[in-house]
Amino acid sequence: MKVLIIEDERGMALEMEDFLIKAGYLCDLAFTAKQARQCMEEGPYDFILLDLGLPDKDGLQVLEEAKKICQEASYIILTARGKLEDRIKGLDLGADDYLPKPFSLLELQSRMQAISRRKSGLKDNLVSLGDFTINFSNRIALFEDTDVGLSKKEFDLLSYMVLNKNRPLTRMQLSEHIWGSFTDDDYDSNYIDVHIKNIRKKMTEYGPVDWLQTIRGIGYKIKL
Amino acid sequence: MKLLTKLTLTSTLSKIATVILFIVLLPFLINRVAFQSTNGLLKQQAKKVMDNIRNNGIDYYLQGDSTYGSYTMLKEEYISLEKARNIYIEDTIQTAQRIIEGDTVMYRVLDQAFEYNNQLYELEIGRTIASISQYNSPLQKIALYVLGILIILTLLIELSFTRIQLRPLQTIIRTKLINPVFPFKEAPLPIRTTTVDFRYLDASLIALMNRIKEDFDREREFTSNASHELMTPIGILQTKMENLMLVNDLEEPVLEKIMEMMRTLNRLKKIVHSLLLISRIENDQYARQDSIQPDKMINEIVEELQHRIEDRNIRMSVSFQHHIVLHRLNHDLIFQLFYNLINNAIRYNKENGNIHISDGITAEGAYKISITDTGIGIEAADIDTIFNRFRKKNTIDGEGFGLGLAIVKSIADYHAIELKVYSQVGRTTTVAVNFGKPLPL
Repeated sequence: MKVLIIEDERGMALEMEDFLIKAGYLCDLAFTAKQARQCMEEGPYDFILLDLGLPDKDGLQVLEEAKKICQEASYIILTARGKLEDRIKGLDLGADDYLPKPFSLLELQSRMQAISRRKSGLKDNLVSLGDFTINFSNRIALFEDTDVGLSKKEFDLLSYMVLNKNRPLTRMQLSEHIWGSFTDDDYDSNYIDVHIKNIRKKMTEYGPVDWLQTIRGIGYKIKL
Repeated sequence: MKLLTKLTLTSTLSKIATVILFIVLLPFLINRVAFQSTNGLLKQQAKKVMDNIRNNGIDYYLQGDSTYGSYTMLKEEYISLEKARNIYIEDTIQTAQRIIEGDTVMYRVLDQAFEYNNQLYELEIGRTIASISQYNSPLQKIALYVLGILIILTLLIELSFTRIQLRPLQTIIRTKLINPVFPFKEAPLPIRTTTVDFRYLDASLIALMNRIKEDFDREREFTSNASHELMTPIGILQTKMENLMLVNDLEEPVLEKIMEMMRTLNRLKKIVHSLLLISRIENDQYARQDSIQPDKMINEIVEELQHRIEDRNIRMSVSFQHHIVLHRLNHDLIFQLFYNLINNAIRYNKENGNIHISDGITAEGAYKISITDTGIGIEAADIDTIFNRFRKKNTIDGEGFGLGLAIVKSIADYHAIELKVYSQVGRTTTVAVNFGKPLPL
C-alpha cells in the first residue's frame, strides 16, 4: 500500500511516516502543494493524506486537483481548522474520511483500514483471531458459526484492538476511540476494564482468549 | 421615576405653587393698586375743584354760605369745602371714618388747604373704601380660572415639547442600553438630535460599545488563534509519543512514563478543544438548521452514559409528556449541552442517587427540560459563577477542568436558551433548560 502524506508540519509528517512504515505502508512525503503535485504525477497512490492548511495553496483546491490526477486513491483530510463547512466541502469533493487534528495515529490507521475494507468490496470482511473470526461487515465476533454475542461497545473495542494488533493500547486511547471527544479522562478508562472483562467472559465460554493480554498499569494488547 | 415624569411633576408643582402665592397675594395687591388709583383720582378731583375756584371764584361753590358739601346718591363720594380756622393744614390722603346723614362710612379722604382772598379754606374729597374692595373676591375668582386654564395649557405644551426633546434620550436608552444583546452583532448607529448633551452621551456610549466589541473580538480571535496554534504542537507530541510506545521491548516503567505523558497531553488537548469549541460557537461557526426531538436525544445521551450511571448505581428516570420537535438548532451542540448537564448530574450525585429528567411548559408557554439530581448541591452564592470558565470548586478528585458548564453556557447563549439553576446544598440540584419558544400547536 502506497501512501502520500501531504503535510507542511515536518515534525508531524515524519511521525506519520514513521508510524505507517512500521505498519507496512510505503510512504512519500510532500510539505507543499507543489511537491504534492510532483509526487502525484509520478506515481499512483492507494492513500493520500491531505492537510488542508498548506502554505502555498488552499487544501480544498489541492484536493480537487488531486482527484483528477490520482483518481484511484483514497483521500483522508487532516485539518486543524475543524470548521464544519470544510468537512462537508471536503467530503463533497470526494474525500473518503476526515480527521480533525490532533488525531491519534492509531485512529488514522483504523480509518485507513476501514476505507480499504469498504473499497475491497469483499462481501464478508473477515479477520481470524485465534479460534474466533471477526466479521467487520456485520460487526459480529464468531466462534465457528456462532455469534458470541458482544455488545456494540464491546465489538467496537475488540475490533479496534484487532486493527491495532501487537501494539500496546492504553485505556485512554481505547476510551477515546469508544467515546470520542466525550471521553472523560481517567473517569472512563475504568470502564474499559469492565468491557474487557465482559469480552473475556463472553468469549472464554467458546474458546481460549490468551491473545488478549493485559499490560499492567498501561492497558491491553492483542498478540497474534 | 422616569425623567419625563419628574420634569412634568416639577413643572406642575412649581406652577401650582406660584399661582397659589399669586392668588393669596391678590387682595393686597389690588388694595394697593386701588388705593393708589383712588389717591390719583382724589388728587385729580381736587385739581378740578381748584381750577373751578380759580376760574369762577369761590362762590361757584359756596354761593355766599360758609360751607359747601355734596355727596353722590349712594354716598360713594363726597366733597366738602369750608373756611378753615387759621391753622395751617398739611395736605393729606388717609383712610378715615365720616358720618354722613347718620351713616358711618369708611372713606379714603383727601384733605387740602388753600388760600383764597386772604381767607384759608379747607377742601375735603372722599371716596368709600367699600367700593374699592368690593372687586377683590370676583377678581380672585377670575384670576383662579384664568390661571388654572393657563396652567393646563402651558403644561400640555410643555409636556409635548419635553417629550419631543427627550425623545433622543429614549432612543439612546432603547437602542444602546435595552435592545443590544451582547455580543453586539451590528455596529451601533448614532442618533439624530440637535441637543448637544444627548449627542455627547450617544457618542460616548457608541465609543464604549465599540470598545467592548473590539476587546471581545480580540479575545475571541486570540482564543481561536491560540487554540489553533496549540493544536499543531499537541498533534506532533501525540504522534511522537504514540510512535515511542510502539518501540519494541520497552521496559514497563518507561511505558508507564510515556503513558503519563500522554495522559497529561490529553488533558491539555481537551482544554484546548473546549476553548476552541467555545470560541467557534462565539464565532457563529455552527449552523442552526437542525430539528431535534428532545425526548429521543435525551434517551440517546442516557444510553451513551449508561456505564457511568450503572457504575454509581444511580436510578435514572426520564419522563417526557410533550413529544415535540424543536427547530432551528444545532444538533451536535444541543447534544453536547445535555450531555454535559446529565454527565454532571451523574458525576456530582451520591452513590445510589436519583436523576429525574422531565419536560414541561413554563407559565409563558415556553418549552423546557429539567434535570434534577440528588447530588451534592451548589451553594447559593456560587450559583451565578458555575458557568464561568475554569471554575472547578466542586470537582471531585480534581477531575474535569472546569469548562463543561462554560460550554453549556456558550451553547445556551448561542441558541437563546435560558438556563436556571435551583439547588439545596447536600440535597439536590435542578437545572432547567428553557427553550423560550412557545410550543407549535
